[in-house]
Amino acid sequence: MKEFKLDNEPKITSGFTFPETYFDTLENKVIQRLPKKEAPVYPLFTQRKIVLFAIAAVFIIALSIPIVNVIKVKTPEIDAIILENYLTQQTDISEEDIAELLNDENIKHIKIDVKIDNSELEDILISNPDMEEYLN
Amino acid sequence: MEEKDFIQTLLDPKTQNVAFQQLLKEYQRPLYSLIRNIVLNHDDADDVLQNTFVKVFQNLKNFKGDSKLFSWMYRIATNEAITFINKKAKRNGITSEALQSKIVDNLKADTYFDGNEIQIKLQKAITLLPQKQQLVFKMRYYDEIKYEDMSKILGTSVGALKASYHHAVKKIENYMTSN
Repeated sequence: MKEFKLDNEPKITSGFTFPETYFDTLENKVIQRLPKKEAPVYPLFTQRKIVLFAIAAVFIIALSIPIVNVIKVKTPEIDAIILENYLTQQTDISEEDIAELLNDENIKHIKIDVKIDNSELEDILISNPDMEEYLN
Repeated sequence: MEEKDFIQTLLDPKTQNVAFQQLLKEYQRPLYSLIRNIVLNHDDADDVLQNTFVKVFQNLKNFKGDSKLFSWMYRIATNEAITFINKKAKRNGITSEALQSKIVDNLKADTYFDGNEIQIKLQKAITLLPQKQQLVFKMRYYDEIKYEDMSKILGTSVGALKASYHHAVKKIENYMTSN
């Protein structure tokens, strides 16, 4: 039997083949499989901070709405003395005008506490001749 | 361009894509041959080769330049191919040697094999070798990688590689003579 010597034999190739276009398409196949560049990552903390500020701003605005309304609606109370002085000083408003605004019930409730001396009353009646009509 | 400069273009995000395409063009054929001789089947070799390039791309930033670019890439390709064949054998519930023997037995029916009887016989003889001897023999005989380069790829001394190859050749010659 002839002894086989690898170095004495012509080179034995592997005999493997591959598709004709294999190396033309390989580059694209590999590039498609490469990891894509990562999208920029924004720190969660910054985003959370913005959201918290937005929520806080909404709350402040919401809470301030009733306060603004109260301020708007509030009207100054008219002081009684000022009103009295105003009516007294307004010459256009006569006693008759005021009397017209009062009904009988109002008049009944008005307590007139006037202390008049008899002599003074006599003087008024003497000096005012029209009084006779009322007394009758 | 010197290798050091080429590595810089691979690491620079602005030039990385073009440089990587150049790397692909230069290494796709020799790496395919290395992988194909280990996994034996074209479709499997295609998978492993793509995985190899993806891993190379992903790990470029970790490449320190201590070794040559080609030996670093060949190391990744060899590891990927061996891991693949071991996993495939495990899935089939057989040893990797048994799996390779099975593939070699079916080589005649393989679309992408155009070999004669002696080529099949040599493949059969190789499958009978221990995995490390198989690897050394294939890298030296089929891919004609120098012992010095192989030493950098496999992390084994030149002397140990020469001894492995010598043992492998002896076993193959015995098989080829007696069969």
